[in-house]
Amino acid sequence: MTVMDRSEWYDIARDTNWSPSFVREQEMFPPQMTGGFGLAREKWVGYDEPYKTSYPEYVRIQREKDAAAYSVKAALERNKLFETADAGWLSILKQHYGAIALGEYAAMSAEARMARFGLASGMRNMATFGMMDENRHTQLQLYFPHEHCNKDRQFDWAHKAYHTNEWAAIAARHTFDDLFLSRDATSIAVMLTFAFETGFTNMQFLGLAADAAEVGDYTFSSLISSIQTDESRHAQIGGPALQILVESGKKEEAEKLVYIGIARAWRLFSVLTGPAMDYYTPLSHRKQSFKEFMLEWIVGQFERSLIELGLDLPWYWEKMIAEFEYQHHAYHLGVWFWRPTVWWNPAAGMSPDDRDWLEEKYPGWNDTFGKCWDVIIDNVLAGRHEKTLPETLPIVCNMSQLPICAIPGNGWNVKDYPKEFEGRTYHFNSEIDRWIFETDPARYRGHMTIVDRLLAGHIQPPDLSGALKYMNLSPGECGDDAHKFAWAEAYRANPYAKKAA
Amino acid sequence: MNPFPFISNFQGDFVLQLVLADMTSTMDEVAANAAYHSVGRRVVAQPGKDIRVRKAGNEDFFPRTMKVDQSGLKAMDCLEILFVDPE
Repeated sequence: MTVMDRSEWYDIARDTNWSPSFVREQEMFPPQMTGGFGLAREKWVGYDEPYKTSYPEYVRIQREKDAAAYSVKAALERNKLFETADAGWLSILKQHYGAIALGEYAAMSAEARMARFGLASGMRNMATFGMMDENRHTQLQLYFPHEHCNKDRQFDWAHKAYHTNEWAAIAARHTFDDLFLSRDATSIAVMLTFAFETGFTNMQFLGLAADAAEVGDYTFSSLISSIQTDESRHAQIGGPALQILVESGKKEEAEKLVYIGIARAWRLFSVLTGPAMDYYTPLSHRKQSFKEFMLEWIVGQFERSLIELGLDLPWYWEKMIAEFEYQHHAYHLGVWFWRPTVWWNPAAGMSPDDRDWLEEKYPGWNDTFGKCWDVIIDNVLAGRHEKTLPETLPIVCNMSQLPICAIPGNGWNVKDYPKEFEGRTYHFNSEIDRWIFETDPARYRGHMTIVDRLLAGHIQPPDLSGALKYMNLSPGECGDDAHKFAWAEAYRANPYAKKAA
Repeated sequence: MNPFPFISNFQGDFVLQLVLADMTSTMDEVAANAAYHSVGRRVVAQPGKDIRVRKAGNEDFFPRTMKVDQSGLKAMDCLEILFVDPE
């Protein structure tokens, strides 16, 4: 039997825009589910997805991708990566799986919403495949870490993290709820696929796959590459949607969604990927700094995509770029200091060579973040272990749910950005976080941060032990220094002296 | 005991922290409570300096012996805690 070329039938087959006669248009596509700022469905006829595929093609390719990823895993299961990899790399794996696996599952629901309520046939078609993509990603990223669970309980957090009130899990849930679980189909196309996936996850997966290959973790590298090829396809749902919105006079509304999406993605990216790239990855394997990566991939490439779509750069663009210099250093210091509250073992990344590298990549690092680490190193060497641990909670941002933090030491610029609303004072990490709240205070007002919960008596006893219990972190799961402080020994005989410029 | 939870923004530290004092605490006691969570953990001690408290955004410090309930502060206000030369 002769099979017609896809291009001969695709446009007709995917066009399911019939006129309903048994139900009203509004019932079939309720505005609260479809979104689109009131644009009629006819406006969406011009939606042209750049990547076209059919179901048989999709299944064939996905089967091949799955087979490749699982084969690499099976072939390398005996290579003892778990025993031989640097502890910092294992921490990246644990952090990644816990933060991402069930986030992908949530994204599957979001894709399903576009598949059902998208106003354009092409969007619904692409999102159907996107939904299956996200399901595949969830399964892969739960299955791959599972082999390590019997050796290290922290790997169990690949599945457990999102089911807990651990603070990073709260931050991830808050972000994903906002960007795609509680949004309409059009907003999801813009915020999830364009802002979050094109802007950040697609890039992160590219970077991570390269890093994994560099450290010799070919299983993870092939897994991440396999996922990334899906991401780069379904991330293209948002671009044509933005085109329609801009052409139909909804540029300002569309920009607001993009700006919120980028800002929220940046926070998660800086707390997860920033420390992974600049601290957890062993120095000998670091190819570029997080700042260089952000400037190349986000500022360089994403900026071009925005301009090509006729969108203005966000009002906060320069402020966000300025944060590339410090925000992830602050998050890293926070995650390391509050390490019992995470499901991975943060690598300090603080050898004298690491510090030289940080100073070279981030001039002034030793006079700012280095000042805090100097005190920590003194405590480690003097055996004052208790002084390297917290006895209270950091204040977390009412938007990102991450600690409010910035530059310490000689560049001290830490600041609260408060906002009064309906008798409650909210606290934010920056003008950007506060601006997101101000775009729709009623949407965000009810949420309680981990600190609000402590003050409301939800955490008992109201101390670190109560907090760990509240976060479902059991002994054997709480994080500790990845290298058991071995890095500090280099300072015992030779206090750190900044390398001459 | 009438607890006064506040936000500590300690000079030289990298993060805002939740700190507890009492409504009858003096500002020196508030400063000491804040210092407990920063100095010697991530901020180096500065012997010979005083540690003073002011409301975030203000220039002037509270008098050292002023009590919280006399200061107009309310729970979860953000306070800046700084090292200063003794008067």
